[in-house]
Amino acid sequence: MTARISPGTAYGFFTDTSICIGCKACEVACKEWNQLPGNAPRFLGDSLDNTGQLDAMNWRHVQFVEQFTPSAPGGGGGRQAWLMMSDVCKHCNQASCMDVCPTGAIIRTEFDTVFIQQDVCNGCRNCISACPFGVIGFHGDTGTVRKCTLCYDRLQAGMQPACAQACPTQSIQFGPLDQLHKRADARLATLHGDGHDRARLYGRDGQVYGGLGAFFLLMDRPETYGLPSAASAVRPGRNNAPGYLGALLGSVLAVLGGLIALRRRNESPGTR
Amino acid sequence: MRNEHFAVSPDWRWYILLYFLLAGIAGGAYVIGALLRLTGVDRTAERVAFLLALPAIVVCPVLLTLDLGSPARFWHMLVNTTPGGGGLNLHPGSPMSVGVWALSLFSVFSLVSFLAALGRPAGVARLMAGRAGTALTVVGAVLGLFVASYTGVLLSVGNEAVWSDTWTLGGLFLASGMSAAAAVVAVAARRRAAAGTERRLAEADGWFALVELLFVVLLFITLAAAGSASTVLAHGWILLWVVVGLGLLPPLLGLARRGMAGAMTAVAPVLVILGVLALRAVIIFSPQG
Amino acid sequence: MVSLAATFGRGAMTNHWRDIRNADLILINGANPAEAHPVGFQWFMRAKLDRGARIVHTDPRFTRTSAVADVHLPIRTGTDAAYFGGLINHVLQNNLFHDEYVRNYTNASWIVQEGYGFQDGLFSGYDAGRRTYDISTWAYEGTTAPSQASAGQPQQQVQVSGQSPQGTSLDAFARRDPTLQDPRCVFQLMRQHYARYTPEMVERITGIPRARFLEVARMVGEMGRPDRVMTIVYAVGLTHHTTGSQLIRSGAILQLLLGNIGRPGGGMNAERGHANIQGNTDNAISWEILPGYLRVPAPGQRTLDDYVAQSASRRSDPNSWNFLGANYRKFMVSLLKTWYGDAATAGNQYAFDHLPKPAQNASWMSIYDNALRGRMKGVLLSGMTATSIGPDSNQVMTALGNLEWLVVMDPLPTTSSEFWHAPGVDPATVRTEVFMLPTTHWIEKDGSFVNSGRWMQWKDQVLPPEGQSRHDHWILAELLLRVRRLYQQQGGRHPDPVLQLTMDYADPHRPTLDEIAREVNGRDLATGKRLASFALLRDDGTTTAGNWIYTGFYPESGNLARRRQGIDDPARNDPTGLGHYPNWAWSWPLNRRVLYNRASADLAGRPWDPGRPGIQWDGSRWVGDVPDYPATMSPSDPNAWLPFIMNGEGVGRLFSNSTIDGPFPEHYEPVESPITNPLHPQVSASPVAFLYDRAAGRRNRFGTAKDYPYIATSYRLTEHEHYVTQHVPLLVGLQPEPFVELPVQLAEQRGIRTGDRVRVSSARGRLEVLALVTPRLQPLTVDGRTVYQVGIPIHWGFVGVAADRDPNRGANWLANALTPFVGDANARTPEFKAFLVNVERM
Ligand SMILES: Nc1nc2c(c(=O)[nH]1)N[C@H]1C(S)=C(S)[C@@H](COP(=O)(O)OP(=O)(O)OC[C@H]3O[C@@H](n4cnc5c(=O)[nH]c(N)nc54)[C@H](O)[C@@H]3O)O[C@H]1N2
Ligand SMILES: Nc1nc2c(c(=O)[nH]1)N[C@H]1C(S)=C(S)[C@@H](COP(=O)(O)OP(=O)(O)OC[C@H]3O[C@@H](n4cnc5c(=O)[nH]c(N)nc54)[C@H](O)[C@@H]3O)O[C@H]1N2
Ligand code: SF4
Ligand code: SF4
Ligand code: SF4
Ligand code: SF4
Ligand code: SF4
Ligand SMILES: [Mo]
Repeated sequence: MTARISPGTAYGFFTDTSICIGCKACEVACKEWNQLPGNAPRFLGDSLDNTGQLDAMNWRHVQFVEQFTPSAPGGGGGRQAWLMMSDVCKHCNQASCMDVCPTGAIIRTEFDTVFIQQDVCNGCRNCISACPFGVIGFHGDTGTVRKCTLCYDRLQAGMQPACAQACPTQSIQFGPLDQLHKRADARLATLHGDGHDRARLYGRDGQVYGGLGAFFLLMDRPETYGLPSAASAVRPGRNNAPGYLGALLGSVLAVLGGLIALRRRNESPGTR
Repeated sequence: MRNEHFAVSPDWRWYILLYFLLAGIAGGAYVIGALLRLTGVDRTAERVAFLLALPAIVVCPVLLTLDLGSPARFWHMLVNTTPGGGGLNLHPGSPMSVGVWALSLFSVFSLVSFLAALGRPAGVARLMAGRAGTALTVVGAVLGLFVASYTGVLLSVGNEAVWSDTWTLGGLFLASGMSAAAAVVAVAARRRAAAGTERRLAEADGWFALVELLFVVLLFITLAAAGSASTVLAHGWILLWVVVGLGLLPPLLGLARRGMAGAMTAVAPVLVILGVLALRAVIIFSPQG
Repeated sequence: MVSLAATFGRGAMTNHWRDIRNADLILINGANPAEAHPVGFQWFMRAKLDRGARIVHTDPRFTRTSAVADVHLPIRTGTDAAYFGGLINHVLQNNLFHDEYVRNYTNASWIVQEGYGFQDGLFSGYDAGRRTYDISTWAYEGTTAPSQASAGQPQQQVQVSGQSPQGTSLDAFARRDPTLQDPRCVFQLMRQHYARYTPEMVERITGIPRARFLEVARMVGEMGRPDRVMTIVYAVGLTHHTTGSQLIRSGAILQLLLGNIGRPGGGMNAERGHANIQGNTDNAISWEILPGYLRVPAPGQRTLDDYVAQSASRRSDPNSWNFLGANYRKFMVSLLKTWYGDAATAGNQYAFDHLPKPAQNASWMSIYDNALRGRMKGVLLSGMTATSIGPDSNQVMTALGNLEWLVVMDPLPTTSSEFWHAPGVDPATVRTEVFMLPTTHWIEKDGSFVNSGRWMQWKDQVLPPEGQSRHDHWILAELLLRVRRLYQQQGGRHPDPVLQLTMDYADPHRPTLDEIAREVNGRDLATGKRLASFALLRDDGTTTAGNWIYTGFYPESGNLARRRQGIDDPARNDPTGLGHYPNWAWSWPLNRRVLYNRASADLAGRPWDPGRPGIQWDGSRWVGDVPDYPATMSPSDPNAWLPFIMNGEGVGRLFSNSTIDGPFPEHYEPVESPITNPLHPQVSASPVAFLYDRAAGRRNRFGTAKDYPYIATSYRLTEHEHYVTQHVPLLVGLQPEPFVELPVQLAEQRGIRTGDRVRVSSARGRLEVLALVTPRLQPLTVDGRTVYQVGIPIHWGFVGVAADRDPNRGANWLANALTPFVGDANARTPEFKAFLVNVERM
């Protein structure tokens, strides 16, 4: 499958949703390997999805999007698509979670993946509000936040991630990013050739968060899959300067107001 | 352009609300103390302010810590515990990181000013009495301003709806914090304070409320632009805005018709503080659903 | 499986999983591989990704397979015979068939007897009283008796049908017309038969919009070209019908016409069920066959000769090798020697008398039918749960409650081991004594899995056995030995079969699977050496073979099913580059990867498609895959055998008398259907489907569209394996509660929203579960009216994690409470896939 896995190379996922069959083997493999029991079973009836979202117990989540526009009585016409997409931490090159973490618990590994050190995290949950993809979840038992580790432990042992290994259709492909990029470009070309004009790559280039370590081939707009469009993909840091300037403005005005009110002045007896 | 948000809620709840309120009051009180010292109009009120700042601020780290998933690891914010790492932790990009440091430093200044206000140990009192003392007080005041305001910046530096859609939260939290502080100091200083101080504080509160109002307006402008104004108005949240309004009313009226302020002093502080609390509540909770 | 044997000679997937990637076009009918065979499905994706193959999924529902297919055709359940019929007609009318192939490799040119006919939905020889056919007229001119397939219908039904095989050993050759012009040749009769399946008729019956059908017909028509190849993949979506074998035969005929049988990337491929169900079938899990698809003897067969004469197919052409027929006796004698050892002698016809000659059908439903009739003392269920399997679970539970004893061999509690205290059942009213014999799970044993592609892959034990569980084979050995002791102590009627059965194992109480494997392979009794091929088997009692089709997997050199020369070195391990990997495991027969591969080359031995050769003649021998043919028989030899060596004809059967419901497939409505058959209203449903309740004089349990207006079909979800995964928390998490899928429009009419509790009822029972409203189930226009189809996943019952979490302990969660107790004429397979229900909000 994948050749030697060596530190210093950037690894990641190319998730080709055009061949995902929604079997959820990735979800189960991830849970088995990482010993995640999952949340209490609940029928969501969201198409065939009963997992709901990525969180501390679900580091892979297969989305099902039903796109059926009523076809003519004859049966012709109308869009009939059932999109499936195995969502996961994107291992952003510019990781919002990392930007805001006060403890430095979130690090970039020797495989260029984003990893949350469980022994450092103190559960402040700032990263949760920062992750633009809603990936991270807080886990009460450990008092820390958790997410996909990109199987850091397996990579260190020279094994590919459990989810990729379990994926029967190779919808999840693991490997050195540069190789994955080539494969993705070729696949996209084929799909466009076949007239799938909505198909596109997401996170393959720098447009979203400087490029995603786990990038996707999508069969529709990112929003369809709950992913921010390139325009909405902004970093938390953008608000640092404006935020502090706002605070400064407030301070100056307040202090002025205070000085005016509390200044020395000879009381005019009338007002007493 | 309408911002899209797919971030999920960090589940920040009551501890954080109280922390945000007290940080505002503590910082505000210290600043008011400092201003009184600079203008020197009322040593008693000044001392009251400093005596208030410390107790308010010491509760804050406790609340913060209680909110952590692993309270025992509070110190991980200050010390780098990454294996192989070490040294101190300061992440300028992370308001939470910067804020924790500011909070710690400010606590020290508050303590010193507190002791000085108590008048013992004599050494500290003597130190703070002089020019150096004034200088230190100013530095403390700057930290106070930061502590009272950074919580708003902290919210903004993320990708949550509302919070990250505006740059106004810092200023808003500061102004409202000062307003609450003024009310508290006024009440505490009421009997002992020199003639006119109460009126002065009421007026100050008026100015603070005015700045707060300005920032509320700016907040709605920015949120409207980002398309998330509805979030803070939806459901019952609108009621909290009424409370905010009621809190702004007395100080603003006081400012408008000087002198009248004295009339409503009984209820005013309560309204003000409730208003400030409501403001923080609606900002913190509405986007978190 | 019956229909494949009836057409090609062997009842198994013609090709194999990995070979699917060699196809240009993939028709998926009555299968949902993305959900039911997700791992095997990678080869469909590879065909799509690597060679731009097109995938057409024909299914009542838009499934996870449809999601990645190029075309999804919504079809009314149970009507594939009409769909395939339409395609066959399209191919015939427009001369798109592979002419050379059809002329030489099929029985198109065989002349059918006068007397055969088809009218108003009935073939010649119908007996309305018995609801069976006398098939004697379904024969070729010149042949006296129909030739029969190796695996086929229960023997005595042939008897019932009045056709008594002649004793003559002389082969009678059929008359042929190579020009295909004779009005009574198979080709012309077929043309005539299928002329009725116009695109309009297809639309009217199946509900497939005409335009979409024609679009697919065009794609399929391409595939008759020698350089193109199509595969048809199916599973129980075709099998689970009273017309099952005919649905499958239709596809097989289409493939013969297009010349796609025997070729890499082609074939009629049955995706099997459990990981080792193919192994089960090969080893006689089905009541009417012995290991290796040898027939179970029938009453009246006094001698081995009778048996062979009535079971073995006859040559009906001088160039037919008729391999099975010719060697039938050798295989049977070797089997008897394996079982009865020294007690099997020439003198006693190798203990032929030891074999039972059942006088009545003993298929799945017959067991419970007999229990209901009080004719059954006890039942031993191993590795399955009758209660959930159904059909008509309520009736099955009544049957189980009508036994003296029930033994369940299973590693886990099942709805059968627990039926006596199921919700709503008062244990006091159940007289059956239930025994649970905890077995090891397959993951706790070594042994082999035989996959759909006939690959026998040996596996080692993964986990150590738990608790007091024992291996199945130990339990069965112990049972035999104890029964044997009782016979020895107390005597009894006809003791020899029990007393003389060989148990040549180091420890007869604990045989190892390796010992059994070697026994299955068989050996030469003179030398004591294991045999390398069934060609070496003899009928003089000097060889053994526990299952002749497996002879050769375990030669003296060792267990070939253990071989693992795979993708680590494709250059070395996959010489043809077609993915056969000949040194990975072992596939029967003789490690052939694609069956009937002689048909992959033209008469001269040149591959139809040089890019995808099966086998080819290199001047001195056949090279490529392991030839399904004599390795050195030259194509230029005037006596060269025809390609389908297992058939009496030597060719593929377009016309076949080995299925007892008709030599040509015909569309019949499911037993419960909202419309009457547009082709022949007076014979709407299959005239030979077996109606158990009626035959037993029980009250009718069928419903009509008046009370049950909606069509229902039942199926699997990726997330569960039938009933057993109800014990697996992570999988229960993925599909936590039972539900039914409802079309949006139906739901609107009935005021049902996703998450509501609904009651689904049939004439037999009810299901009370959650609703999942979805546009993936589209209404169809059938015979001028709108019909709705309801989707019913099968996985829930009153045992397992989900049931334990349910306040009502999973009461009314059995999908099979709804299904009809009726079987198809050949295999008596239940009609799990088409029945009528009503749906209401609770
Ligand atoms: N995940 C999972 N995989 C399994 C199993 C399991 O329980 N779970 N079971 C294994 C076993 S034992 C078996 S036998 C196989 C069965 O494998 P499949 O036959 O693929 O499984 P089913 O879901 O029973 O039926 C397949 C499809 O047939 C469709 N169908 C129903 N009636 C008709 C019809 O008349 N015409 C057509 N064209 N389609 C029809 C159904 O809508 C369904 O989508 O799966 C095996 N694999
Ligand atoms: N309505 C409807 N009904 C159907 C179907 C349908 O499509 N629709 N499908 C039908 C089909 S194709 C099938 S195959 C059946 C499936 O019905 P079952 O075969 O009853 O389903 P499973 O849950 O797979 O049962 C397998 C059992 O074998 C046990 N087991 C595992 N390993 C071993 C072992 O080594 N030894 C023994 N003794 N037991 C073992 C497991 O614990 C489990 O209880 O359902 C049939 N019923
Ligand atoms: S997806 Fe979220 S959690 Fe993952 S790296 Fe990016 S920001 Fe961090
Ligand atoms: S929760 Fe943990 S990882 Fe997230 S920001 Fe806080 S310390 Fe960092
Ligand atoms: S990489 Fe590992 S941790 Fe991440 S989703 Fe896959 S299996 Fe789970
Ligand atoms: S394992 Fe692969 S195919 Fe299955 S759901 Fe996950 S990504 Fe899709
Ligand atoms: S469960 Fe087993 S048999 Fe079924 S697809 Fe997966 S690996 Fe294959
Ligand atoms: Mo099955």
